Amino acid sequence: MGDGMATAAAAIRVRGVSHRFGEEGEQRFVRALADTSLDVARGELMCLIGPSGCGKSTLLNVIGGLMAPSSGGVEVLGKAVAGPLPHDIAFVFQESALFPWNTVIENIELGMTFQGVAKAARAERAGRALEAVGLGEFAQHYPAQLSGGMRQRAALARALSLETPILLMDEPFGALDEQTRMILGEDLSVLLARSGRTIVFVTHSLGEAVFLADRVAVFSARPGTVKQVIAVDEPHPRKPEFVTSTKFTALRNQLYGLLHDEIRKAVLGLGEAARGEAGPA
Amino acid sequence: MAEKTTSLRHRDALASRLVQAGFLAAVVLLWYLAATRWGVNRLLLPNPVAVFDDLVDILRTGEYIDDLKVTLGELAAAFSISVTGGVTLGYLISRSPYAIRVFEPLFAAIYSIPIILFLPLFVLFFGLGPASKIALGAAISFFPIAINTIAGFGTVDRLLVTAARSMGASDYRLFRHVLLPAALPVILAGLRMGFTIALLSIIGSETLASLAGLGHRIVHLAEAMEMARMFAYIVFVIAIAAILNAVVSALEARGRWN
Amino acid sequence: MELSAAAARRSLAASPAVRYLARRPWAARLIVIALLVGLWEVAARWLVDPLFLSPPSRVVAALGTVFATRGVPAALQLTLFELTVAFAIAVAAGLVLGLAIGLQPFARRSFFPVVLLLYGMPQVTILPLFILFFGIGAASKIAFGVTHGVFPVIVTVVAGVQNLKPILLTSAPSMGASRWQIFRHVIFPHMVPSFFAGMRLGMSGVLLGVLLAELYVSIAGIGYFTTLFTQNFDPTRLLGLIGVLAAMAIALNAIVRRTEAHFARWRAG
Repeated sequence: MGDGMATAAAAIRVRGVSHRFGEEGEQRFVRALADTSLDVARGELMCLIGPSGCGKSTLLNVIGGLMAPSSGGVEVLGKAVAGPLPHDIAFVFQESALFPWNTVIENIELGMTFQGVAKAARAERAGRALEAVGLGEFAQHYPAQLSGGMRQRAALARALSLETPILLMDEPFGALDEQTRMILGEDLSVLLARSGRTIVFVTHSLGEAVFLADRVAVFSARPGTVKQVIAVDEPHPRKPEFVTSTKFTALRNQLYGLLHDEIRKAVLGLGEAARGEAGPA
Repeated sequence: MAEKTTSLRHRDALASRLVQAGFLAAVVLLWYLAATRWGVNRLLLPNPVAVFDDLVDILRTGEYIDDLKVTLGELAAAFSISVTGGVTLGYLISRSPYAIRVFEPLFAAIYSIPIILFLPLFVLFFGLGPASKIALGAAISFFPIAINTIAGFGTVDRLLVTAARSMGASDYRLFRHVLLPAALPVILAGLRMGFTIALLSIIGSETLASLAGLGHRIVHLAEAMEMARMFAYIVFVIAIAAILNAVVSALEARGRWN
Repeated sequence: MELSAAAARRSLAASPAVRYLARRPWAARLIVIALLVGLWEVAARWLVDPLFLSPPSRVVAALGTVFATRGVPAALQLTLFELTVAFAIAVAAGLVLGLAIGLQPFARRSFFPVVLLLYGMPQVTILPLFILFFGIGAASKIAFGVTHGVFPVIVTVVAGVQNLKPILLTSAPSMGASRWQIFRHVIFPHMVPSFFAGMRLGMSGVLLGVLLAELYVSIAGIGYFTTLFTQNFDPTRLLGLIGVLAAMAIALNAIVRRTEAHFARWRAG
């Protein structure tokens, strides 16, 4: 078992991040995160897992510069985070954030336009990203014409085309069925092995966390903090057989043990979760 | 209710059109019989043949052109003003959820009363010329445009805005590539409604207080008891309105991506 | 997004006045209206020729003279009468026709397109015709109001009936319900929300039709006085009269909306 800290080559450094929504005494007051610290090494896939409302998504937004924390700070690649970092960080959200009025390839090229990529380079990079996720034939389709799994692939392609060293993924496969999740998980593992990007991946699924992650950070119930970090020592790309191995099962059981009490706490509404109101976690 | 296939829907639309055409034909037939056989007073109901002749005459001699120019001119001016004002103000208000909560009910409340009521005020201020019609038309059509613009920009999926920001979109790029396309279908619907109501208001105000224009022409003919010609102009105006509305609806449909 | 603006917003929000307004948009709305009225007052008093515009203070003060003008109270009463009668007829006729058309598939296919055709017609073109046919009295105003108000009621009632899930219609007879019972307990309650929405639109239509007709007839009724005040360059009394009419329209709309809300509560409870 490790703690949250890695060695000097950390891509992401989270230090003492706490976050509150609303003011104390207001109805919508929620303490989402409490003094969270974490390091993510370069080229590693770190999973954040924990009960509902424990602040995992909030932490992801803070890391990505979409939200300023109430206290504490984040360093990404040596820089303090004070806003979005489009050249360093790309997001994949749970619901497809593809623009419905554009085709798939237009969506990807638009992402690059926002980032500031030169016009001449966009088409080629977009094409490559689509091939990487297996959607080469669907470039001219509109998001509404694609299945949920394909839409998330397209969203992933858009993130990849931005060629950022870091990828932040907020339950990207959460809305998909089990089988699609398995396939996409395997494909993601392959991509990771090839590209060497640093990925922070929020998930609810124990199996997904063990299959994908190099390390898994387990969160406590709200207000969330890192309870423990578990290492999964298995090289990428991970084979489907890994899922049935004893190592996998042992790790999954270990995660279950750590999470079970926290989930109970969250569901029964003990502690801060009693307030019942959603922070956008 | 089960979803209809496209061909079934086309068949339904065709059937509706046929019924409407049949209805109009029946009306004309009844009208003809009433005017010629059943002895309805010529002062109330002119002979449809006479109406048709007058209509042909009007079109052939181009008698309608001056009035049409006045009406369309007023419409163009009023609509330009209300589009510019309505979209701009609607966008500015949509930027703040609080402003939306303050202004949107206010606009909806004002729009719910017949603003044509204020026509005498406009006539007092601007006179009987086109200015009063333009002002009233602009005032009335402002509301559906502003209300729809607020709704269009106000209901853009926040996730899309977040995603664009995370990719480094500037304010201008955000507006042009995300906010505007997202809001466009609703805004276009508002523009169509604004156009229709502007046309109706202008014809209405020409009917009530004007010296020129198609509405005024109809009133003039009514007062002169030139029934056949008046009916001809009524048919003409209804046709013009139908054509304009069809064009505007087609334009709106082209802007839709959903 | 809560980046650096958050700090600025937090300090501004600390001010008690702002916090009060922030939770009460209606208060801000009143302030906006007050500002507009203030603007009107200033413009009318000092910027515009008094021949064309009158300040609200003067208009309100002179309301008494508006009502004292011979014939105005009678004209206003007549207009109110026309509005209520037209509304009653439009709603009743709209309900009956809407049910007749909506419940019978054959009737719907043959008559509904006709209804839509007439609904989309610019009726203001035949206003002079209505006056020629029905005269300058109340009859033409009521008739014009009815033709404006009946169509939205028909259309919404038909829509309300059409939305009925077919399963409800088949399960009721299977339990032995008679046609009347089916109507009263299945169809009618289902259609009521649409009906009330239609009533709201119907009231707007009736207001438009009746007031249009009244304004058109410049030799009697409200139209006579609006023409009189306009031609005499009397913005004070003109504004007063129009203000009263606008208040009437707002009040009628509010009554319909309250009734709708009341029935919605009764349904939910």
